[in-house]
Amino acid sequence: MSEELVMPRLSDTMEEGTIGRWLVHEGDAFAEGDVLAEIETDKATMEFQAYDAGTVLRILVGDGETVALGAPIAIVGAEGESADEAVSAGNGAATPPPQEQAAAETEPEPEPKAAPARKPKSSSKAKAAAGNGARATAALRVSPIARRMADEAGIDLAAMAGRGSGPEGRVVKADVERLISSGELTRPAAADAPPEAQRAPAEGEIRDLTPMLKAVATRMAQSKQTVPHFYVESEIDMTRAMQLRAELNGGLADSGDKISVNDLIVRASALALIQHPQAHRSYVDGKHVYHAHASIGIAVALDDGLIVPVVVDADTKPVREISRETRDLAGRARAGKLKQREIEGATFSVSNLGMFDVANFEAIINPPESAIIAVGATVDRPVVVGGEIVVRKIMRVTLSCDHRACSGADGAKLVLTIKQLLQSPSLLLV
Amino acid sequence: MADLTYREALRRALDDELARDPDVFLMGEEIGRFEGSYKVTAGLWQKYGPERVRETPISEEGFVGAGIGAAMMGLRPVVEIMTINFILVAMDQVINHAAKIRYMFGGAVGVPMVIRTPGGAGAQLTAQHSQSLEAWFAGCPGIKVVAPASVADAYGMLKTAIRDDDPVLFCENLVMYNVTGTMPDDPDYTVPLGRAAVVREGSDLTLVAHSYTVQRALRVADTMSRDGIEIEVVDLRSLRPLDAETVAESVRKTSRALIAEEGWSTYGVGAELAARIHRLCFDDLDAPVERVGGAEVPMPYSKPLELAALPLESKIEAAARGLLAESGIA
Repeated sequence: MSEELVMPRLSDTMEEGTIGRWLVHEGDAFAEGDVLAEIETDKATMEFQAYDAGTVLRILVGDGETVALGAPIAIVGAEGESADEAVSAGNGAATPPPQEQAAAETEPEPEPKAAPARKPKSSSKAKAAAGNGARATAALRVSPIARRMADEAGIDLAAMAGRGSGPEGRVVKADVERLISSGELTRPAAADAPPEAQRAPAEGEIRDLTPMLKAVATRMAQSKQTVPHFYVESEIDMTRAMQLRAELNGGLADSGDKISVNDLIVRASALALIQHPQAHRSYVDGKHVYHAHASIGIAVALDDGLIVPVVVDADTKPVREISRETRDLAGRARAGKLKQREIEGATFSVSNLGMFDVANFEAIINPPESAIIAVGATVDRPVVVGGEIVVRKIMRVTLSCDHRACSGADGAKLVLTIKQLLQSPSLLLV
Repeated sequence: MADLTYREALRRALDDELARDPDVFLMGEEIGRFEGSYKVTAGLWQKYGPERVRETPISEEGFVGAGIGAAMMGLRPVVEIMTINFILVAMDQVINHAAKIRYMFGGAVGVPMVIRTPGGAGAQLTAQHSQSLEAWFAGCPGIKVVAPASVADAYGMLKTAIRDDDPVLFCENLVMYNVTGTMPDDPDYTVPLGRAAVVREGSDLTLVAHSYTVQRALRVADTMSRDGIEIEVVDLRSLRPLDAETVAESVRKTSRALIAEEGWSTYGVGAELAARIHRLCFDDLDAPVERVGGAEVPMPYSKPLELAALPLESKIEAAARGLLAESGIA
């Protein structure tokens, strides 16, 4: 019988969710585990997978629309069934199961006293579907690794439904390997109309914020209004760091790895934070929370907005590993493919606008972190060294600190250590 | 490197630890003059005397309890229980005392005791004397449970177990005693508890086992290798602590997992590992995790029925081929 799908809880803090886009249309059949829609939570875009096989009878919440947790978003059921049934069931009317389905049940299930708004997942339904020739051939079964490999290779497995070499046509690893080597079934570029965010705004148009922009707006306003920020500025001579970076990248040229200035800054920050626990603690509910390791958030600009993935325990990782992780995280950040846990748990952040030729700026702390370093461009500047005017590569940084967590001197010491590490950059390699 | 039996490796480990540490002593039924039912303590009573190789009455609860008391007072008893089947009368001492004392005394006192005991089946000893009960103990916090499957591990792990500050149930296997293998010449050779070992590398399937079943697993891997199928065999070595990460690392490589054990599958080692593998490797699996265990019956006496109840090579191979077939591999 038809049933309502409701907005699922996909992150601990989410209270509402936005349908990023539906991947199925009304009338489409789907298998257990198929991705039905992409749902934007307050933090990330997540895939919404089907709990059970079925057919989409009606979509209640369209692309880009936001509803509260638990609100119905679609009605699903058997092919040809009416969507109205679930709606009336939702109003409390008990609906008897259709005759054919009851006959196909092999395991007795307790009769529900009153139809709930969303019927619990019924195992008999999948069996009923398997007994129905038309539905059984349409069911797409995929082993977990085959699904992962297909996703990574951009292969749409829909056409493989019932054609895999595993039991009951399950698509397995070997099938995907064959598809990859044959080049078949590669997913076409999205042909549908571009989502709102990709359209140029019309004059005077008013748009809702995406969940990510909403989260940024709320958190930054709260931080700037409640966290007493103070700022410490410094100039760092990056001449030797740039030389080291060139040398490293020369040696790594064949490996595919490439160290960026930002990787060196992340490494220097992590090492410096461990040396200065007073500048590496959070102020939470009137207490100081200390951190054993420095997990560094890295602000990644998106087309509209930003996200801050985290290099966990960066103080324990060599520059090359920091570089690899950062590249992977930033790439997936831009593709909207970060997992919730990858944007949590930072103890400090780095925001680098050097690529925009910014001389200097001040960043807003992302609580419960107690500091963030804002990094400007590295530029050739005349400076005085040993009484002589020479040209050096100078980078300006500004550390924003939470005065409830640390004092001005703590912040200054942290910046000084970061500066010393970057000016004697071989220390970053040990 | 020297070739010797599993039995002799255990005897040497006991001999070396008795010689190394005067606090170590042995206790059990018929382990002195008679040299133990399976001759693991051969010659030790003559060498170390009745104070350090103590014979006990047939009273498992009594002498396990005595071992606990001695351990709490600072000695390092190695208690032999003739077979794991007889530990059942001492369950209260093992589970409620040995495994609990460090906790109940707030860490002030521990029980550095080893209980050595063989399990296993295959010699027509029938229902009461053919059991592999180690999983029952491995489910209990507070006691380590190990089950070496090679000569070198028998030696190295028994020494580590004796030096451990907490109780260790050291599970031997009746069929293993005559298995020969090489042992390092190093007299200081030890093997840490809680680490599994990849004993054969392969790419198509991870086959996990412990104790004598590892030997069977290796033979299955050899057989299937002739058909071009490469099985990776993981020897768990310890059941608690359980090194699920080594297993997971292998499964991430092969995408398929089969667990074989001589005990019953239901609530067994394979059940625990299947749960861990599903959590650690969900996105790496190409087929459901599969298990092979002893038939869920009391062990029959009749030889044909006993063979039918044991997880022999043929059953492990059939399960492996079934898993591979599900993955589209012939």
